[in-house]
Amino acid sequence: MVSDSSARSLPVRLAADTRLFYLLPVLALFVPLFTNPYTQFVVNLMLVYVLVAVGFNIVIGNLGQLAFANTAFFGIGAYATGLLMADAGLPFWAALIPGGAMGALAGFLASVTAQRGIRIYYLAIVTLAFGELMRWVYIHAEGITRGTDGLPVPMPTVFGMSLDTEVKKFYVFLAIATVVVKGTSNLLRSRIGRAIVAIKDNELATASLGIPTARYIVLAFVWSGFVVGIAGGMFAILIGRVVPDSFGLIELIFHFAMVMVGGFGSLSGSVLGAIVLTAVPEYFRSFPGLEEMFFGVLLVLVLMFLPKGLASSFARYLPMFRQRFYRK
Amino acid sequence: MAALLELDNVSVHFAGLKALTGVSLQARRGEIKAVIGPNGAGKTTLFNVISGYVGATSGAITFQGQHIHGLTPHEIAAKGVRRTFQNGGLFGEMTALENVLAGLHSKIDSGFAGLLFGMRAAHAAECEALVRARRLLDPLGIGHVAHQLARDLSGGQQRMVEIVRTLATDPPLLLLDEPAVGLAPPVRDRLMEIMRRLAGEEGVSILLIEHAIDLVMKASDVIVVLNAGQKIAEGKPEEIRRDRDVLEAYLGRG
Amino acid sequence: MFSQLILSGIAQGAIYALVALSMTVVYRATTIVNFGHGDMVMAGAFIAYLFVVLLGLPFLPAAFVAVVLLFILGVAIQRGLIEPIKAGPHIGFAMMSIAVGYVLRGIARAGWGREVLPMPRVFDIPPIFVGDLILTGDSLVVIGVVATFLTAFFVVFHRTRIGQVIQAVYQSERGAALIGINVRAFHCMMWGIGVAMAAIAGVLLAPITLLYPDLGANFLIRGFAAMTLGGFGSLGGAIAGGILLGVAEQLLGFYVSTKLIDIAAYLVIISVLILRPVGLFGKAAIVRV
Repeated sequence: MVSDSSARSLPVRLAADTRLFYLLPVLALFVPLFTNPYTQFVVNLMLVYVLVAVGFNIVIGNLGQLAFANTAFFGIGAYATGLLMADAGLPFWAALIPGGAMGALAGFLASVTAQRGIRIYYLAIVTLAFGELMRWVYIHAEGITRGTDGLPVPMPTVFGMSLDTEVKKFYVFLAIATVVVKGTSNLLRSRIGRAIVAIKDNELATASLGIPTARYIVLAFVWSGFVVGIAGGMFAILIGRVVPDSFGLIELIFHFAMVMVGGFGSLSGSVLGAIVLTAVPEYFRSFPGLEEMFFGVLLVLVLMFLPKGLASSFARYLPMFRQRFYRK
Repeated sequence: MAALLELDNVSVHFAGLKALTGVSLQARRGEIKAVIGPNGAGKTTLFNVISGYVGATSGAITFQGQHIHGLTPHEIAAKGVRRTFQNGGLFGEMTALENVLAGLHSKIDSGFAGLLFGMRAAHAAECEALVRARRLLDPLGIGHVAHQLARDLSGGQQRMVEIVRTLATDPPLLLLDEPAVGLAPPVRDRLMEIMRRLAGEEGVSILLIEHAIDLVMKASDVIVVLNAGQKIAEGKPEEIRRDRDVLEAYLGRG
Repeated sequence: MFSQLILSGIAQGAIYALVALSMTVVYRATTIVNFGHGDMVMAGAFIAYLFVVLLGLPFLPAAFVAVVLLFILGVAIQRGLIEPIKAGPHIGFAMMSIAVGYVLRGIARAGWGREVLPMPRVFDIPPIFVGDLILTGDSLVVIGVVATFLTAFFVVFHRTRIGQVIQAVYQSERGAALIGINVRAFHCMMWGIGVAMAAIAGVLLAPITLLYPDLGANFLIRGFAAMTLGGFGSLGGAIAGGILLGVAEQLLGFYVSTKLIDIAAYLVIISVLILRPVGLFGKAAIVRV
């Protein structure tokens, strides 16, 4: 992986780097050829969780703060998008960004707790409590959220076209996921990403380099909230109904497991972890209990044998999986 | 010649502990000033108060004519004061190259929106930084480890990377906190060479905390001696060597 | 009415105190927060149910079996799952405990599906009337058992040799290792004890509540809240926190709104961390720059 610093060769390297990134989505275009509506639904769910994991990883993997507010971002995004579609009659494409924005706002609020010097387990517990409080709000603010029955989401439309099949949703989701993941990758592989990881490593030394650490902590949380909020909006139209129980502790642990299995701090790892772990519950859908047992055993195996996650295990043979913080 | 950095009667008192009392000193361009003293004398506190990690209880600190006491560490660093840390401030999880790029952070002209959307200008700024970082590492003989994780490097290499990172933005004032500790003699000499060149040729002002007296005697232009939070002597190395108070407090005791 | 609420709060809080204490025991010994602890409480309850209903054992032996089985589980977790990943990041331990919880829940769900299980009444003690106050048979048993257990626990902790050993290792593992204490065995022991205590809580719960596989989550959160309130890592604090939490739930539920009972624990956590992060009996950690 030796690169010479000659500026002349840079444009060529750029194209190769970008080409590799877009290969996966291009190949994915052919996925619907191999699926039936149910498996297509699972693939769509994978795309949602890719964004969930990617977003979560920014805060717990790159910034290294155990902030467990992810389900709060997810739920807020889902309800925001759902409500805008159901009550304000907005089409999906118009309701999605505000959903992300609400997630970003929640991220900003969460970052305040991180700033106050509340660290490690305390931060985890407080943000977890935040998430559970939101869930309580979803249940009890029945006038707005329709409580435990859930908020039914109307048929999503994009520029007039109805997304009435899983395949149509797939292409829209694929586009959204590709754009968001690429954007995140751009951010990570820049001075912003470096600043965030530096803060995780040694906040004092980071400040000594003239980097305003508070600003980047907030940025990491806000971006994370935005990405997961978008995922929430997608989730809302995929499931068709936004229900409080979707955003509880068990969901949070699932998010955490995806990032852990993929590898903390690795974007490609989060994508992998999401794809792998989303397949598991769906496979065991019909056998109550088996799903959890399998999930638990899988986690144990990963913890024992692949402690740094899938990405770093792959990185040994495939350099593309090693997370870089600059663009070649 | 006006001093680059000036401490005027600075005291740092914590609850019950007088870390620094009435310390006045100046740092000039092109000058290597060593700060020595026994453990607990207040040397690291001195660095901490200059770089903003600790507040001064009284007194004034000016840098390039501006008051800097009360500013946050990153604001002071942005003005041109760079420092190293005793326990190593290297980012172990990043590569050597990425560490240096982090050092260049404030000089890279790429903004959030530009980076997010992959705009040309932001990208160009990043590429330029990449080239600069490479150029900074190569002369020091650590270009070949650019892509290794910092924590996997040898002690000497790590120190070099940290120095390169600290120097990346050509800061006028450098605070080096025990840069030679744990280094093999040839690396120490290299370090001294680098310091001399920075001060002599590029006019950087260096404040140096060191316990290795031989290094201090050889490398510094002026020595400041601290003991129990107070400055007890300042002068050229030969003068300090003969100073009775200093001998009593620190040198020549076994 | 107020005193009645306090009484119910204490009865409820006694269970929380036990759960919080058991979590603290494990935490003090190994610095691990057992995120699967609630599921272990559930497991204790389910095992007791299994032995009573399906195998016809009387309650006490069934309870005993449940506690012993879970003690073994605790030791096995430390030995087989925690120790092998000792060198990894701390968060790995938490994830491991979560994974165990998952497996326990999966087993319970596979065995019992979506049903909610009532256990046949075990304690047929009539309620006691003290003035205006009603002490139900269930409350009596719970408070009685927990109080007895806690007394025994603290007697052992402070007065016996074993207790002194535990205190020594809590204070300094390195020091304890130097004087010949087998720290590894200690870790296994404490995990076993902690999980066994969770089983006791579960066993106490079994006759008085409806059982379902997910009931662990409630107790995990209550345990956290109690630990946070009492001061993370403080044994006495865990107990105080548990009881205070139980009382707070009852008071909030009656005087403000029953809806608040569910999130009382979260409100407590947030308030404590804002107002007094070290909790009632905790000590502030000194961070060196």
